[in-house]
Amino acid sequence: MPDEDPVVSEPRSTFRASLIRVFAVQIIALALLAVLQFSYPVF
Amino acid sequence: MHWINWLIVVVYLAYVIIDGIRKSKDTDTIRAYFLASKRLPWWVVGLSVMATQLSAITMIGTPGQGATDGIRFIQIYFGLPLAMLILGVTLVPFLHGSGVYTAYEYLENRFDARTRSLTAFLFLLSRGMSVGVIMAAPGVVLSAIFGVPLIWSVALIGVPTVLYTMVGGVQAVAWADVKQMVLIIVALLAIVVVLLIEMPVRPADAMRIAGATGRLEAFDFSFDLTETYTFWSGMIGGTFLMLSYFGTDQSQVQRYLAAESVDAARSSLLMSAYWKIPLQALVLLVGVLVFVYYQFTPAPLLFNPTHETAVLAEQGAAYDALQQEYSATFTLREQAARAAADAGDETSAAGAMETFLAREADIQAIRGEALSLAEEVTGEASRDTNYIIPRFVLYELPIGLTGLFIAGVLAAAMSSIAAELTSLSTTSVIDFYRRWVKDDADDAHYLKVSRAATVFWGIFACVVATYAATLGSLIEVVNEVGSFFYGSILGVFFLAMMPRSNGTGAFWGLLMGMSVVAGVRYGTPDVAYLWHNVVGAVTVLVVGSVLSRLGGGSEA
Repeated sequence: MPDEDPVVSEPRSTFRASLIRVFAVQIIALALLAVLQFSYPVF
Repeated sequence: MHWINWLIVVVYLAYVIIDGIRKSKDTDTIRAYFLASKRLPWWVVGLSVMATQLSAITMIGTPGQGATDGIRFIQIYFGLPLAMLILGVTLVPFLHGSGVYTAYEYLENRFDARTRSLTAFLFLLSRGMSVGVIMAAPGVVLSAIFGVPLIWSVALIGVPTVLYTMVGGVQAVAWADVKQMVLIIVALLAIVVVLLIEMPVRPADAMRIAGATGRLEAFDFSFDLTETYTFWSGMIGGTFLMLSYFGTDQSQVQRYLAAESVDAARSSLLMSAYWKIPLQALVLLVGVLVFVYYQFTPAPLLFNPTHETAVLAEQGAAYDALQQEYSATFTLREQAARAAADAGDETSAAGAMETFLAREADIQAIRGEALSLAEEVTGEASRDTNYIIPRFVLYELPIGLTGLFIAGVLAAAMSSIAAELTSLSTTSVIDFYRRWVKDDADDAHYLKVSRAATVFWGIFACVVATYAATLGSLIEVVNEVGSFFYGSILGVFFLAMMPRSNGTGAFWGLLMGMSVVAGVRYGTPDVAYLWHNVVGAVTVLVVGSVLSRLGGGSEA
């Protein structure tokens, strides 16, 4: 059996889901940091 | 240190060695030794990737930075999730699918032998030195804290690491990384819990004190190329830095080359994309909490015990006078901090906070004088920040937890060093020995040479670490040269994915990229280093593409 093309081995929808998850986590992390910064500001 | 703490450290070291040797089964081919037979599950590779990046400097220096400078350092990681996604669809499938042992081997398949050899040589040069630095950083701190010669602390870190890396190869290293990562996270969480319990004020008040001094400022949106940590340098420069590090540095590439499939390799990188920022925030938060803790508990004027002893010996009277002034001001600051924490209404809170910040400025001024005194007496940079956490761990944590944290520091050091040693050994054997010296030997022969190469690089790292102080300027030069080509090598790999590029474009593009970065570095020295990666990668892409087109397209 020929090697599967690794570039297309993952369905686009799976990658799109990963993309959305990573950015969701990233936005939550940045939002939490922003909350920390603005809740306890520099005096 | 209490014997129970020593016992924890000894048990950890013994476990790492025994487990490493146990995991060395079935590593009788170079594919098994260097790539774990491409059988590692994604989560093992993911934890190994994270453990490799988390060195002892992260455990000691980064919380220290959190204590003195706050959490703004975290901005450097803002580009990491994006970098991981880009790598997942670009370099990872190319490298994993091509069946290579090293990232540089792929460059010969795509371009030519000279591009491969140049990039591999640059890797050996910079990583060979940096593995010594990675070992020296905790070695110097542990030697100062415990009052033992540097060579002992270097040996404590180096010998077990070389042993399990040499015997078990990537398989042993990756599985050791998993356990080390768990130990590191447990140690960090335990410290946060202890700090919150022992803090004499409520967590919200602790955060208010930290925030008032600017230590909770995570974002700096100014677009200033000379400022190292800003949102933009993290998002743009940081993305390029992470692309270079995770995409082209053999110490990272080798982790995901060992994954069981392309999807497993991608998932392992996504693990970092999810967890790196929260983990780094935790590390910095430990430092911020230690800063607040020392508002209510007397801290030493100088955290570095070696410098403190030297200053006492040579400038005893001046240091004593500073110490007295420091003690008196500390009492005033502690009262002000308590008043700021307890203040009820908004007006009294503002007044109390103002008084606290004035006393804090007084303390910083006295500490500044003490640091100048230390630098004058010892003739070296104080680096006092690196000793804040070790002193805190040794004198303020309960018995058992001190040992756990020191085992965590050793784990962080060992996981990074082991990855460097395997990657240095792999590159030496695959890109040089097998490529240029002997290409027709059997696996048993290459395995022997690989183990010998691991031991060689281990000894080399120990020697560099032991003489790190005297090699200071040399190491700085090598690190500086290293920063010239990091982004440029990334440019070569991106060029490799462009169908019309060729070896001539890649080779001369790489040299041009490094030259331009060197020009930027010396021509405009104020530009923060994160931007060098962007300049290098873009130059290589542009010059490489133009030269490839002039030369008539792909030779591959």
